[in-house]
Amino acid sequence: MGIEALPQPLAAYTALAALSVVVFGLFLRVTRLTAGWLPYRTWLLMLPVVFVALWLGTSAWALLITVLSIYGFKEFARATGLYRERLFVLTVYLAMVAANALAYFGRFGLFTVVPMWGVALLTLVPIVRNKTEGMLQDFALSVLGVVYFGWFLAHLTYLATWDGGLGLVLYVVLATQLNDVVAFLFGKLFGRRHWTALSPNKTVEGSLGALVFGIVFAFVNWQLAFPQLPWWGVLGLGVIVGAGGQIGDLTLANFKRNVGIKDFGDLLPGHGGILDRLNSLTLVAPVAFHFTRFFFGGFP
Amino acid sequence: MSDGPITPSPLEPHAFSYAPMPDAGLPVRERLGQYPRVPDLTFDALRTIARWTAVGLTKLQFPIEIRGEEPAGDRVALVANHQSHLDSLVILASLSERRRREIACLAAKDYFFERTSVALASSLFAMAVAFDRARYTELRRWTRILREQRRGTLLVYPSGSRRRSEAHDAILFVLASSGWSIVPVAIAGTAEAWPVGQALWRPFRRVRVTFGSPMTATPRKDLGKALAAFWSANA
Repeated sequence: MGIEALPQPLAAYTALAALSVVVFGLFLRVTRLTAGWLPYRTWLLMLPVVFVALWLGTSAWALLITVLSIYGFKEFARATGLYRERLFVLTVYLAMVAANALAYFGRFGLFTVVPMWGVALLTLVPIVRNKTEGMLQDFALSVLGVVYFGWFLAHLTYLATWDGGLGLVLYVVLATQLNDVVAFLFGKLFGRRHWTALSPNKTVEGSLGALVFGIVFAFVNWQLAFPQLPWWGVLGLGVIVGAGGQIGDLTLANFKRNVGIKDFGDLLPGHGGILDRLNSLTLVAPVAFHFTRFFFGGFP
Repeated sequence: MSDGPITPSPLEPHAFSYAPMPDAGLPVRERLGQYPRVPDLTFDALRTIARWTAVGLTKLQFPIEIRGEEPAGDRVALVANHQSHLDSLVILASLSERRRREIACLAAKDYFFERTSVALASSLFAMAVAFDRARYTELRRWTRILREQRRGTLLVYPSGSRRRSEAHDAILFVLASSGWSIVPVAIAGTAEAWPVGQALWRPFRRVRVTFGSPMTATPRKDLGKALAAFWSANA
């Protein structure tokens, strides 16, 4: 059964998102945080895209995730120079389409071996290209593409196919995005102590605020999004979003510093590229998926 | 596969080094308008689909009479009169697929590349690249670009506007001094098929495209006059 079976959380979350837009707009107006207006306007475009896909059903959601994965990886490949090696890039695209298709059809066994088949295909590229120079780097970056940007994100498609998984999808997507906003706001308002070289603007106060928010937000959403879970499952999800989101964020920040760029792109004004927006979600989606599946067998 | 003996690569370690694409960090509309184009899987695929669609629809709606030989050579500048938005599509439909793949149409940046939607449409369907009329070093920049290019096909409207019929000499001078072969092209009938100021085109009007001989023997200072004569003779 698809997510169409459970429209209630979607309607509630759509209303919640609309309310958040209004409240956050008022907040920006009152606090005169001018830096927040540009990302806010971009949110006004992004939220309808996400919600329209969810309202249309699992297939539209799978398509959206596939497109976002491909575009996100494209940004990564352009930034690292891997994009010059078309065969590597096309192989990663193929693995991304396969991962999302298998997730959409609920073929868990095949879905879990997509990284293996993707990497196996990648081994053929240097042989076909008959070239050695730079191939280790391109191969390594492509493996990262298949696993981290492709397979990890495809878990969002899989989540949507579970009975009752829609609540989890909505919670994971919205909580990670709100988590970023909360970390930013806490950092701006209370941030004093910086704690990491990976992202020098991060503060202890901002990160702790985001972690606490993640946990509180999980309990607030408990009955609406995942009433099947016990309290410790909800707590686990809160920690995964609160901490995992920030780890995902730092991981991408680390990649950017290695490459020497500030943003992966400029498609989303005020946010950067698609990857700059998906950084937290990339890690949180598979961890939340496997946590729920391991302890609770999904939502059978 | 190589026919001769394969030379093994030297046994030296290679450190990871990242070389972002040359247009990384540029907004999409700037990337669409650059020349020479930086290879991009997405844009290239979309451009191919858009080109096939545009050419197919143009051929379906407008019977095109082609006169003269299709230009040959590695660096060819097609210099045409400009009277309608249809001009580029009609010329695209008159060329071989090989030429269509590599052609770039010089288009005013302030008109075609200010908004992403317009930039997408003109770059994907009409192969437009940006020419910045407001920048005073633009002609010098294009001279350098054209001299460095080893092959290409450029479509240029030296009048600069659909409302003007005389050619600007400066762009012709740049083309000639860069060593590109200037091929005059006269377009007739597009002004009636899609007049300036009209929102919609009028299908099934006859149009004619005439390719002239390369103007290799014409002195640079006389290029404008020679073009005007060619255009009026084939109007």
